[in-house]
Amino acid sequence: MKKIILTTFTAMIPLMAQVKEKVEVPYVAFPIKMGEGFDAVQANCLMCHSFGYIINQGKQSRKFWRGKVDKMIVHFKAPISDKDAKIVTDYLFEHYGNGKEQ
Amino acid sequence: MERRDFFKKAAVTAGAAALGTSTLEAGLTHQPIDNREISKFAFPEKRPLITFSDRPPLLETPRDVFTSALTPNDQFFVRWHMPDIPTHIDPEKFTVNVNGLVEHELKISLNELKTQYEQVEVTAVLQCGGNSRSAFTPTAGGIQWGNGAMGCATWKGVRLSDILDKAGLKKGAEWIGFNGSEKAAYYETPEFIRELRLDELDDHVILAYEMNGEDLPYLNGYPLRLVIPGSYSDSWVKMLSNITVTDKYKKLFFMDVAYRVPDNECECETPQKRFPKTKPINKMNVKSVIGYPTPDSIINHKSHVVVRGVAWDDGHGIQDVFISIDGGKTWDKAILDSGKLGRYAYRAFRYPFKPMGYGKLTIMAKAVNKIGQEQPFAEDVKWNHGGYKFNGIDKVTVEVI
Repeated sequence: MKKIILTTFTAMIPLMAQVKEKVEVPYVAFPIKMGEGFDAVQANCLMCHSFGYIINQGKQSRKFWRGKVDKMIVHFKAPISDKDAKIVTDYLFEHYGNGKEQ
Repeated sequence: MERRDFFKKAAVTAGAAALGTSTLEAGLTHQPIDNREISKFAFPEKRPLITFSDRPPLLETPRDVFTSALTPNDQFFVRWHMPDIPTHIDPEKFTVNVNGLVEHELKISLNELKTQYEQVEVTAVLQCGGNSRSAFTPTAGGIQWGNGAMGCATWKGVRLSDILDKAGLKKGAEWIGFNGSEKAAYYETPEFIRELRLDELDDHVILAYEMNGEDLPYLNGYPLRLVIPGSYSDSWVKMLSNITVTDKYKKLFFMDVAYRVPDNECECETPQKRFPKTKPINKMNVKSVIGYPTPDSIINHKSHVVVRGVAWDDGHGIQDVFISIDGGKTWDKAILDSGKLGRYAYRAFRYPFKPMGYGKLTIMAKAVNKIGQEQPFAEDVKWNHGGYKFNGIDKVTVEVI
C-alpha cells in the first residue's frame, strides 16, 4: 500500500528531489601523525583535500612526496611557498616515508 | 637534506644498479589491496562504504556487492576531484546550458529534459580508470583503490545528440566541453572540464537524471550527469551544468596530464624511464571481479559453494568467464546471466563447485570478450605511472574447514 502511494506522489510532482534539503558530507578525523612541520601541512594541504588523501598513499620515498607537493603547486595552483614546500615534504617523508630518497 | 648529499646518494644508487644488486625497483603488478575496512559512518544517501577521503568524497564499494549485474545506488562508489561540491540543488531552478558554436543557445530545465525529449535508458558500467590502482608497485600516484571503484546501473535520460540537434551545430563545430558544478578552493585551480570530439560521441551517450529508477544520488552527480557507455568514468561529468561547443581544443589539466597512459602498444613503461608520449585512457579493457566468496568467507568442506561475480568490457561483450580453483592450472566455464541488460552492462556469472580438500583454497576468475581479448594474470599486467587500466585475473583465497 505504502509503495503505491509513493509512486502516485512522485508521478504528480516529478521534480521532487530525493533529498529536499542540504546534504551534509560528514567530517572524518583521519589519524594524521603529529610532528615537526605539521602546521605547514595543515595550512597548505587541508584547503583542497582531507588528510585521507595523504594517508592513503602509503609509505613513500622523498622523491614521491616532493613530486606530490610540486604537482599541487604546478597543476593545481596551490600557493605553497618554497619554504613550506620543503617543510611539508620533510614532514611527509618523516612520517609517511619508506626511508628511500628516491 | 642538502642538494649535494642528494646527488651523492643518487650516485650510490646508480652504482648499485650497475653492479646488479639493484636498489631500484622494477615496475611490478600484483593483486590490489583487498578487504579494506568499511567505515562506521555513512555519507548522504549511502550505506557505510570504504572511505578514502571526505573532501573531496572518495568512497569504494566493498567486494561482496559485486555478485549481481546491477549495483545498488546506496553502495555505488564515489569519486570527486574538488573539495567543494554543491550540497543543495533546487530541481525547479536547475538548468543545463548549451552554448558556443550553436544556432540556438539553450537553457534546459529538468522538467523540459523529462518532457520535451525522447527518454532513453542504457545499462552501463561506470569504472574509474584508476580502479585497482593498489596493484602497482612502486605506488602509482592517486587513490590506492582496491577493486571497488566501479559499479553498474541502468541510466535514464536524454540522448546528447538530440540536445545538440535541437541547439543546431554551426559549421566548424568539432569539440564539446562538459562542465560539472564542483569547485576548487583556489580560483586558479583548473576546473574539472572534459572535452570530447564530436566524432567520439554516438547515440549511446546520454545525459542521465535517473539511476536504477531513482534520482541520481547527490554524490553520484545529482541532478544530471554524462553517461558514456564503454568509457572510463573520468569523462562521465557529474552535476553537469554546461555544454560548450567549440572548433578548437582547449588545453586542460584533466585532459592533458591526468587520466593518461603511455602511447605505445603495451601502454606500459618503467618507473625509471617514463614513456614520453601519452594518450587518454579512454575505453575499458576486459575484466572480472569475484563478489563471493570474499577472503572473509568461511567455506565448509564438501559443501555446495557457488562462486559469483561480474565481468565486463567496453561494449564488445563478454564471451566467457573461466574459473580456476587450482591456482590457474585448469579453467572451467562459469554460467553467465542472460545478458539482457545489454553489451555495456556487467555480465553476472556463477560457478557451483564442491571443495573436496581442507585448508587454503584459491579461486580465480578470468573473462574473455567477444573479440578474444582476455585478462592476463595480475603479475603480467604491465606497469604505468598513473596506475591505470589494471585488469589482472582476480583471485580470492579462502579457508575451507
